Amino acid sequence: MNRWTGKTSGLDEWLQILRQQPDIMENVTHWHTIPPRAARTAAMSKDIHPKLAEALASRGIRELFVHQAEAYEAVRSGKHVVTVTPTASGKTLCYNLPVLQSLLENDSGRALYLFPTKALAQDQVAELQEIAAAMDVDLKSHTYDGDTPPTVRQVIRNAGHIVVTNPDMLHSAILPHHTKWVKLFENIKYIVIDEVHSYRGVFGSHVANVIRRLKRICRFYGSNPQFICASATIDNPREHAERLIGEEVALIDNNGAPVGEKNFVCYNPPVVNKQLGIRRSSVLESQKLAAMLLRQGVQTIVFARSRVRVELLLTYLQELVKDELGTKTIRGYRGGYLPQLRREIERGLRSGEIRGVVSTNALELGIDIGQLQACVMNGYPGTIASTWQQSGRAGRRQGTSVTFLVASSNPLDQYMIQNPDFFFNRPPERALIHPDNLLILIDHVKCAAYELPFEAGDKFGEERLEDMLEFLVEEKVLHRVQNRWYWMEQSFPAHGISLRSAAQENFIIIDLTNGSRVLGEVDRFSAPTLIHEEAIYIHEGVQYQVEKLDHPEKKAYVREVDVDYYTDANMAVELKVLHVDKEHQYGELLRQYGEVTVNAKATIFKKIRLRSHENIGSGPIHLPEEELHTSGYWFSFSEEAAARKNTNDMQQALLGLANVLVHIAPLYLMCDPQDIRVVPQVKAVHTKLPTIYFYDRYPGGIGLSERLFDVHEELLRQAKTLIRNCTCLSGCPACVGPIEEVGLLGKSLALDLIEQTEVPS
Amino acid sequence: MSGLRDRMLRLRGASSAQPVQIEPAEPMEPAESADPDPDDSAVNGGSLKLSPEWDELGVAIMTTEEGEFLLRETRYPIDYRHGVHGLDELQEAAAGLTAFQPRSIHAPGSRASRPADEAGLVQESGPKVHPERILFLDLETTGLGVGTGNVPFMVGLGYMSHGSFVVEQMLIRHPAEERAMLAYLCDKLTSYTHLTTYNGKTFDWPVLHNRFILNGFRHFKWEPIHIDLLHPSRSIWRNTLVSCKLSHVEEERLGIAREDDVPGSLAPAIYFQYLADGDPKPLHGVFRHNEIDMVSLACLAIRFGHLLSDGLGSRVPHPEGAEELLRTGLWLEKMKGSGCAEPLFERLMNDNHAPPSVLLALAERDKKCGNWPRAVLLWQKVVYAAELAVWPGWGAHIELAMYYEHKTKQFDSALSLAEEALALALRRYSGMRLDAKRRAEVEGLRKRVDRLRTKIGRLSG
Repeated sequence: MNRWTGKTSGLDEWLQILRQQPDIMENVTHWHTIPPRAARTAAMSKDIHPKLAEALASRGIRELFVHQAEAYEAVRSGKHVVTVTPTASGKTLCYNLPVLQSLLENDSGRALYLFPTKALAQDQVAELQEIAAAMDVDLKSHTYDGDTPPTVRQVIRNAGHIVVTNPDMLHSAILPHHTKWVKLFENIKYIVIDEVHSYRGVFGSHVANVIRRLKRICRFYGSNPQFICASATIDNPREHAERLIGEEVALIDNNGAPVGEKNFVCYNPPVVNKQLGIRRSSVLESQKLAAMLLRQGVQTIVFARSRVRVELLLTYLQELVKDELGTKTIRGYRGGYLPQLRREIERGLRSGEIRGVVSTNALELGIDIGQLQACVMNGYPGTIASTWQQSGRAGRRQGTSVTFLVASSNPLDQYMIQNPDFFFNRPPERALIHPDNLLILIDHVKCAAYELPFEAGDKFGEERLEDMLEFLVEEKVLHRVQNRWYWMEQSFPAHGISLRSAAQENFIIIDLTNGSRVLGEVDRFSAPTLIHEEAIYIHEGVQYQVEKLDHPEKKAYVREVDVDYYTDANMAVELKVLHVDKEHQYGELLRQYGEVTVNAKATIFKKIRLRSHENIGSGPIHLPEEELHTSGYWFSFSEEAAARKNTNDMQQALLGLANVLVHIAPLYLMCDPQDIRVVPQVKAVHTKLPTIYFYDRYPGGIGLSERLFDVHEELLRQAKTLIRNCTCLSGCPACVGPIEEVGLLGKSLALDLIEQTEVPS
Repeated sequence: MSGLRDRMLRLRGASSAQPVQIEPAEPMEPAESADPDPDDSAVNGGSLKLSPEWDELGVAIMTTEEGEFLLRETRYPIDYRHGVHGLDELQEAAAGLTAFQPRSIHAPGSRASRPADEAGLVQESGPKVHPERILFLDLETTGLGVGTGNVPFMVGLGYMSHGSFVVEQMLIRHPAEERAMLAYLCDKLTSYTHLTTYNGKTFDWPVLHNRFILNGFRHFKWEPIHIDLLHPSRSIWRNTLVSCKLSHVEEERLGIAREDDVPGSLAPAIYFQYLADGDPKPLHGVFRHNEIDMVSLACLAIRFGHLLSDGLGSRVPHPEGAEELLRTGLWLEKMKGSGCAEPLFERLMNDNHAPPSVLLALAERDKKCGNWPRAVLLWQKVVYAAELAVWPGWGAHIELAMYYEHKTKQFDSALSLAEEALALALRRYSGMRLDAKRRAEVEGLRKRVDRLRTKIGRLSG
């Protein structure tokens, strides 16, 4: 280390020094080192066209990594393929190689590439155009998205060899106008779907149906394309890809790319209030670590969970290092920045001019920013898969890299930080989709009927197609003539169907403080508790009061206020079990899975003083009841278990346990924590027993509670570990909840409840 | 089935706070003519008689190898007058329509995508338009846009044949008859060299093109010269008529008044109603609407044909307003080359009521083709008129200032005009909050004044 500047000669030396700093190391709960791994390669396939081989050689590629070679062979043998590869392992070559080879062999062939975002599509086209230029062949690749000028659209439709687009565009612009794309659909050989892991939940279920429509159109034009998918590391890549495209796929996960040494450091901010279980702010700790790295000249990426945190961290860091590096070398990156600015930042990162970037998960996907040396995550990103993706941003093929995971005080973070094994020794989450969710399916049956009439004997999804078609006939959308069903309606169905919105109708929040501007959105199911009239709505740390809620128009009008209280609404939730599909009795626990309806009605709200939490007033809420029909999973304790506790204790035990469970449930699901809901009931209507219910917060369900039903036992075991290992005395926000909510005995009651139900082994 | 319906209703009830939009399922009579009894049509083929409700529609069953559809034919005698024009004028007007020939076809090497914009010698060499080879076409469809789910349930054709104007209208009784109708249409189309539509380049033709692909006529080829009359209508009446819809244009300019017309926008709903209840009566209104569209289309073609064959002032009266006169002239020039609109422009010069905007537009045209003397005259007219106006513009001032500065080097005149322009701008904008565009405008005027002052100072100093 240079005594004068405090700078080390490199990351290795700095990490050595760090290990000797007790004030840092006492917060490090785990330091995991993944040793470097050499490349495993295979010779370039013999049949590769000389021009392609030469173009690759000019970019330094003379042999392939084993997974690239395997992918090439599998595609050439006619299989649908999914490759699973971490960041920076040469993933794009897995699909570009067979596609380009095929186009060199037959110039009339076509390929369609799908990426979840426009930015990724643009990156890909730039890369393809470079290779085409290096090969000196006339091979046209174009992006086709909302930004494509109308004047060039026609050229792309007729002459583009590779059309790069996104599922939304395919859904609303390409498929409903397939007659303009005859050339593409007649000659399509390959469909490349990158980042398949991002197509999950409601979005993924929609996309799976768009792909069903795509295949149907291809069949109409007599083509039968091969799918080449690429995924980040998830637990079920093959199953997921197969569900998404509806075909059997070959899995290629034998990663042969080299990696340098990787250090993964779990960092838990120190406890500052033991009674309440409060830790020092993870933002401040992340900022401290990032500043240390930046001062050492280490190119660093900082991930934060929200846009506001990105801005906070960015301001802090720019301030901290402005004398040494200047503020221009540290940049923010998030949705809401203009594309041009984003491109500039990406370039700066690749060239090394930009030394630090603070980002939301927008940079998690495969946007090309080169490979950095260090990554600091402010908070657990929510899933193991994203954590590896984000961490993969730091790590080169050679040389050491480091990732710091700085835990926040939320229970999931606390669980991960204290159980690093869970993270390092477990497969990441499963990507779940439910393409046969009736609502989603029917939407796409409509779109498909618009594109081509249906015939008796056709198939679309698992539901009986004829039933759906007859339903649409009754709805006066389709018209049946003998055994064909025709679209007979004035509208353009794809326009009314968005692939990305979970709850279809959101409430818009309009701030009237200065003129009127849209502040944000709240989904329909949250609206009654968050934006009822007189509610205090907090946005970016500023308080607003709701002046008027226009329920039919789905608008809330708010005005900025400065008050010393917040509001908390009570929801009366009624849950009815309609049908039990699966059931399992184990010891004192009965668990079930099936269809449920949830009726929620906001009743009253309380005004609660900040800090002291005393109740200073209340008022009624007059809003219609919301009904949700979905799938759920629940488990009930036996009568004996119920008898062991008085109602009040049982109430608090269930509440505490439910709080923990709903926080750790995302460990097993790739979903937004908001997508799964929990309801504890001391005496459930359905079972008359103490019961905890989970349900998918999307009409019809998207497979989340079904998955939880399957991992139930492990879920309970993890909950127990979390509660037991929490450092608080009697409950805190990081485990069963604050004592204001679960009472002084909440923690021990919850623990007790789990332990009693365990079957002694 | 009812199980699925129940499930859908439950899910929708959950996903929408609004009442589910399903009309009460009224027990419906089986719609016989909508869903023809397969036995009947299969056995009896073309000889099948239509049920009596169809009688007053004047339709007949048409049978092709691909199946059946209905055909309605109406013949107009050649001397039929529709508004101010008679159909017999098409004979004479057709010659003018040659100007619609895309240039690249008969003027190889020319890159101009617009017809003749260089010289007026092109159209003479194009093949003559034979009035009997022009096909007028208009679709009634089930929806808007050109997506693959939009079905033309009625195709209207119009053409001259053996001394009468024939309107042929095809109707499909249900979507399964579309194929037969398209087969018949394909057969028919190839006899024509010209296709005339209203908005057909963006709507009717792309829709038909979709239908050919979807129904197995992917390789059908017919490449007529397509005359979309919406384009000249917009060129000429964009600023004079409130709408360039065919029904409005024909009423305002062709003297055509429709009675009890069913607006085209209602056609889809009427057709769906017919599909649902099988009662064809309301379709009569759609047939009539489409039929009149065909005749009006022919009259509009006559109007433009006359304009293009020097019929202005003889076959067609001169436009009354200066704006329409100007647009007509500019359009004629675009179609036939410069020079052919001179008489119109001269009329405009002599029109003392022509508004400054029209004079400026004509001056702009003159400037582009180098007719400086008239351009200067026009600008001067506008500048004089500005003295009397309450809120005058200063566009002509600047044009003149540029002319004096760069062409004739009369810097003093240029300066006084530029100063006047700046004064007018400041007066107009005084007390207003200026947006970036206006600020830049005022700034530009200041710079011009400054530059001219410097130039004059340099010359005198």
